Amino acid sequence: MTGFIRTAFTRYPMEIILALLYIYLSFEAPGFFTVNNQLNVLRNITMQGIIAFGMTMVIISGEIDLSVGSGVALAGCVIAWICGEYTDAIGAPAAVIIGAVVAIAIQVTLGVLTGRVRQWFSVPTFITTLALLTMLRGAANLITGGFPLATFPSWFTTLGSGFFYGVPIPVYVFVVVFAVTHFIMKFTSFGRSVYAVGGNPEAARLSGINIWFVKSATLGITGALTAISGILIAAQIGSGNATAASGWELDVIAAVIIGGTSLFGGKGRIWGTFIGVLFLGFVVNGMTLLNVSEYWQYVVRGALILGAVLFNYVLEKLR
Amino acid sequence: MTAGRIEVSGLRKAFGPTVALDDVSHVFEPGRVHALMGKNGSGKSTLVKALSGALQPDAGRMFINGREVSFSSPADAFANRVVTVHQELSLVPELSVGENIFLGRLPFRQRLGISTLDWNKVHTDARRLLEDMGLDIDPRRPVSSLSVGRQQVIEIAKAMAFDPTVLLLDEPTSALARAEVEHLFALVRRLRERGVTMIYITHRMSELFDIADTCTVLRDGRLVGSIEMEGATTDRIVGMMFGDVARATRPAGEAEQIGGDVVLSVRNLTRRGAFEDVSFDLRRGEILGMAGMLGAGRTEVLRAIFGADGFDGGEIVVDGMPVKQPTPQAMRQLGIGYTPENRKEVGLVQMLSIHDNLCLASLPVIAPSGFITRSREAPYVSRQIEELSIKVGDPMLPVSTLSGGNQQKIVIGNWLNTRPKVMFLDEPSRGIDVQAKQQVFEIMWREARLGISSVFVSTEAEELLEVCDRILVMRAGRIVAEVDPSTTSISDLYGLCMEEHAAEDIVEDAGMTATGDQ
Repeated sequence: MTGFIRTAFTRYPMEIILALLYIYLSFEAPGFFTVNNQLNVLRNITMQGIIAFGMTMVIISGEIDLSVGSGVALAGCVIAWICGEYTDAIGAPAAVIIGAVVAIAIQVTLGVLTGRVRQWFSVPTFITTLALLTMLRGAANLITGGFPLATFPSWFTTLGSGFFYGVPIPVYVFVVVFAVTHFIMKFTSFGRSVYAVGGNPEAARLSGINIWFVKSATLGITGALTAISGILIAAQIGSGNATAASGWELDVIAAVIIGGTSLFGGKGRIWGTFIGVLFLGFVVNGMTLLNVSEYWQYVVRGALILGAVLFNYVLEKLR
Repeated sequence: MTAGRIEVSGLRKAFGPTVALDDVSHVFEPGRVHALMGKNGSGKSTLVKALSGALQPDAGRMFINGREVSFSSPADAFANRVVTVHQELSLVPELSVGENIFLGRLPFRQRLGISTLDWNKVHTDARRLLEDMGLDIDPRRPVSSLSVGRQQVIEIAKAMAFDPTVLLLDEPTSALARAEVEHLFALVRRLRERGVTMIYITHRMSELFDIADTCTVLRDGRLVGSIEMEGATTDRIVGMMFGDVARATRPAGEAEQIGGDVVLSVRNLTRRGAFEDVSFDLRRGEILGMAGMLGAGRTEVLRAIFGADGFDGGEIVVDGMPVKQPTPQAMRQLGIGYTPENRKEVGLVQMLSIHDNLCLASLPVIAPSGFITRSREAPYVSRQIEELSIKVGDPMLPVSTLSGGNQQKIVIGNWLNTRPKVMFLDEPSRGIDVQAKQQVFEIMWREARLGISSVFVSTEAEELLEVCDRILVMRAGRIVAEVDPSTTSISDLYGLCMEEHAAEDIVEDAGMTATGDQ
């Protein structure tokens, strides 16, 4: 029996911890185990979760993206600004679609460029995306002039806050993104290449893998997902807001690391990030329901990141 | 400065079942330059490590001036004024020459009651030391502003600051240009006049005649003998290094007909500072050897053809089609595979499984559409495991769990899965056991029968003679000879790899054709 527990624990550590946390909160946190609260948690985690799947690919490929929080804000502001400027001329649906396409295109381009800057000038993505973190936030403020841009048609806002068969609409996006990224990482040669590139770039290069394409592509995919998340947030709050998603990069990276992905690259799973995202969502929700002070919540979230890394180290030894 | 007569007696060191040093006894007389020769794995570096305290012998004794010493660490060797200059530079490039010389024991002085660095003393002491050695180098210059040759000289100056009686020089010229070598030799002669005992390791035969007084030869961990350089000949030394080795040969009937068509043709390939004017043709099913010492430029040539590194000029033609811009992707597409010399670092992704490493290069072959499943890869994995007889428990285990020989086979299998026409094998036999080596050779022969050509780089002359159909010899970045293995002896080939005048003698003797180079 102990052997069984040990095997189960080394193989599915986060799944088991998540289940235990869930059971604990169900008994201890008032109002946790209600349909409304469960849906609320789901809605809260989807926006960061969508990005986290892309971030998982970036980190496995041996890079990092710190600009996702600002990217979310910028994407929301871009679509809001385009809606504000062109709704009269071309109608609301066309303006929304063009706005979404432009917002996504900007983030994809920035992601790919970040990878190429790494290739051409050997600038670590840590630095490029740290610069983008500030620049994109500034750009978002320049677009909005510092005020929320409430320019959307009413039907667009239901995309962020509405329900479909009783489930918040963004949750469907989250599930689709999970499925697609999982498939890419597990069942395509591109996914295999991401692991090889992160595990040993030189070995991957000498095996004929185009490592800069792979790295740039993961950054580009994350850019697209960042923009999608930004559009959904804008739809949810009904405006383009330059202060949205502040500090998200840390939560997103935390979810990826809690899910067992190695910051050194080459190792990690989309499924693990899925668990990490759920775990973080339930911890935050549980602490709120248990009336833990907001300041303590910061402390706990930070401690979780460090704890996850130490925990993975210990697990590695056990295996 | 006192003279240091260093004596070893019955020195023995084994690593597991391999005996690296076996009952080595010798006296290194003071005030002379003692060359230490031997091919790779002869025990040279083990002996140097024992003398410098970097490793401890299992048995045997060491004496300095008749007094028994034992070094349990490099610090003990320093204390006995036995100082080693290692092959790799150990200088800090951004620091000044003076600072580097006295690093770790910089002088301080009291200023306003605070202990501060005494820069004046650093630089005057350094200047005196350098002048003493006949060197005109400003001790305030940063080391990074000096040429590699000068840096090597600073390395020796640093060693001299310890006032050594015995100086071990481990291939000090391997990275130096000819003029720089002359400077270094002048310094070595000066130190000899002052009575320093020097033990000098080199691969370059001609240097022995320039600088050494005696030559001591090791073979398979045993001391073969020691001769005075006065009156010594290259043949004699090479003979001592190799002895009478019976040559293993390719099994009868293995050397199949080589096709007439040229699959790979290289013309005048040049990269400044690495290799120059390299031209050769590779025919279908041919195993072409590339002989040479470390640093002769063989790896660089292969990597340039494969597109891993760039080159300045020349032409690469695959199947009659010139390759404009070789990249590893493009060359893989054209049917060329490359197994790098340092498989641990760049041949494998250690954290991935055996399974994944066997499919690394062949993803486009296994999954032309880009979609892939484990079950689709499985036949490729099991085929290589079976055909290369790789000892594997579970293919999903990390590749790092395998032995060196099996890891090497994984690297080869990874490329065989791409169905190549040409394989570049860079030192595939390094660091693997005898049986695994033999298996790697058999793989090459089998692939040759199937029409796959190989370029085989090795530092071991006997391996090349055993395996290849034809051997190119590279020296200092050039192809200097082409030999037929069936009519060439090990010591002839080894001599060709080493140095100009030695090589020319041998070429004349054996009636071979020397190409390129003068």
